Amino acid sequence: MADTMLKMKDVSKIYVLGNQKNARKAQKAIHNLSKKYIRFTKKGNKTEAAKAEKFIAKAQRLFTEEKYEQSYQSITGRKIKPKSGKGSVVHALNGVSLEIKAGELVAIMGPSGSGKSTLLNMLGILDQPTSGQIHIDSSDVTATKGRNLPGLRSKKLGFVFQSFNLVPTLTALENVMLPLKYKGLHLRTRKKQARDALETVGLGDRLDHKPAELSGGQQQRVAIARSIVSNPAIILADELTGELDSKMTEEVMRLVLKLNKAGQTFIIVTHNPDVAKLCRRIIYMKDGRIEKETKNSR
Amino acid sequence: MREIIKNMFRRKGRTVLTVFGITIGIFAFTVMGSMAEKISLLVSGGTEFYSDKVTISQSDSLFLSGPMNVNKAAEIEKVDGVKAVSASVFTSLSKTFDAVSFGPPASITGEQLENRELESFKITYSSGRQIEEGDRGKVVIGADLVKKLDAKVGSNVKIRDKDYEVVGIMEKTLTAPDNSVVMTLPDVQEIYFGELPEIVQSQSKPSEVVNGFTVYPNEGVDPNQLAAKIDNEVSDISAFGPQDFQDQIASATGIFNAILFGVALISLIVGGLSVINTMTMSISERTKEIGIKKAVGAKTKNILGEYLAEAGLIGLFGGLLGWGLGALTVFFVNSATESSGNQIFLLSARISVFAIIFATVLGVLAGFYPAYRATRINIVKALREE
Ligand SMILES: Nc1ncnc2c1ncn2[C@@H]1O[C@H](COP(=O)(O)OP(=O)(O)O)[C@@H](O)[C@H]1O
Ligand SMILES: [Mg+2]
Repeated sequence: MADTMLKMKDVSKIYVLGNQKNARKAQKAIHNLSKKYIRFTKKGNKTEAAKAEKFIAKAQRLFTEEKYEQSYQSITGRKIKPKSGKGSVVHALNGVSLEIKAGELVAIMGPSGSGKSTLLNMLGILDQPTSGQIHIDSSDVTATKGRNLPGLRSKKLGFVFQSFNLVPTLTALENVMLPLKYKGLHLRTRKKQARDALETVGLGDRLDHKPAELSGGQQQRVAIARSIVSNPAIILADELTGELDSKMTEEVMRLVLKLNKAGQTFIIVTHNPDVAKLCRRIIYMKDGRIEKETKNSR
Repeated sequence: MREIIKNMFRRKGRTVLTVFGITIGIFAFTVMGSMAEKISLLVSGGTEFYSDKVTISQSDSLFLSGPMNVNKAAEIEKVDGVKAVSASVFTSLSKTFDAVSFGPPASITGEQLENRELESFKITYSSGRQIEEGDRGKVVIGADLVKKLDAKVGSNVKIRDKDYEVVGIMEKTLTAPDNSVVMTLPDVQEIYFGELPEIVQSQSKPSEVVNGFTVYPNEGVDPNQLAAKIDNEVSDISAFGPQDFQDQIASATGIFNAILFGVALISLIVGGLSVINTMTMSISERTKEIGIKKAVGAKTKNILGEYLAEAGLIGLFGGLLGWGLGALTVFFVNSATESSGNQIFLLSARISVFAIIFATVLGVLAGFYPAYRATRINIVKALREE
């Protein structure tokens, strides 16, 4: 059995929109206690950690039930006046648990607004979950300090986004070199690795083209080259074929399948059943939860 | 690096305008600074010139004296601490007052030569020799007047409608002598006498009238104290020591420094604000791009560095351009006025270096706030942008 690459446990994400003072207060209190909890576990202070964990769980449950005042009180012991502010609270993810193994090719499907992008952003540590834990390659991401996140991202993760996700002023080669630059590699090494990656995606002859001079399919292949160039554990792709016609979609998916065959792990968010069909595992999302999961025998 | 320069010119018009804003500030700074440098050089030359002696004037001003009888010298010599006194005459080169003059106006001077070896301010000659006793009708020309008077050793120059033979040309001193013609005392006395009101003329003769004395103190005597003593003991004159000279010009240089400071301050504000504005706009246009960069591993310091470099580069460009224009202006104005013997500017290395560094640092500092904002961009929100 392959190693577990990624593990997500009971992850929720709540967006507080507009003027919801009490929700914000409660959110902040939970956030602060979570930090304390991390400190306790690091120090090995088990009793304090367990106590904090229990409080967090309770506050989070109250929070998800939209009882912000009680949630706040359960942590701080202080009462606040109930206020129904303008704006709203969006439960983008509701306790999602997920495990992904090395070499998998996973599709995430679901209606618009069901939380697919949010899920992907959590996996890609682009955003912090409201509650729950995420482990990537055995490191606890939720306990990682903010300033270490860029390093973690550039080591473990590759991203491909829906559209316009290349820097328009840079050539294909320069775009692919970008992640290596932030790793602090030497210019010559960067150039060589980026050229190799572009060759892998079949664009060895388009090195000096600007994104505007490339077709949509070619642009996404450059983006894939950029995501594989630093040998990430997982590539996260949000609607990578969302703006492509069927021919270009096919071109891009052929590349994904080829890379996956060579062992690269992919998680792809898609609306396109044809794309999902090519993936071994399909996760369906609805209202911030995993609705069902199917396996394709291919 | 290449990317930063390219980014700068993504919005050419806007960047060019910002660079221009800084250019204007630095241009003004360079020109004003060169003027101030010239003045401070004249002043420091003057300070040296007046450092070890007492100068006597008829009036309360060191620079605007009136006629005195040459016999006053004997009276001054009696004061304790005085080693020697030389009478001198100083008048303007042209009959009419030169209104557009800068610094000391072109002048004619002459003094008694007996005590010349006491003078610590030594002058060297690029050609010819110094003026000697009995050189009536002969002159020595200051470096800055050579062109204006078309002077050559051995040939004649016309001064106040009279021909004089040039016997020497002084090396540049960077202060007053550059702008003066030296004659024998009797020759200058003649010119000066002609300028005096008729009542004064009717009561004396040319050889009796001078308008300054230079007093050389004895060894170990403080010239400032000696000046005070002469002031007390000799009537109808004013004595000036080195300190008085410095006080009299300090106010003039103070004004120039204040103007220079003002120009720097204005360019700081104008340039700084336009850099902040440009960078803030650039960054809000590139939100998505910054999101992408952060997603692929850009650290805070990478983003910060990128935008600070861009802002600094805008400052540097503006600085170089402003300095260049300023240097050209200084060069052309100086060569245009060279023939009249009045150079207004001195573009020193320290003004140049300061102008360019100032512009760059200004850019970086002004870029700090926008760049910081760029580092705080939320990745998820940035990526959602179209
Ligand atoms: N940054 C955000 N702020 C507020 N609400 C958000 C944010 N991101 C996502 N949401 C909300 O969360 C829900 C899930 O969004 P998303 O994950 O983008 O769905 P999907 O990708 O499946 O279309 C939506 O209701 C969306 O409006
Ligand atoms: Mg989405």
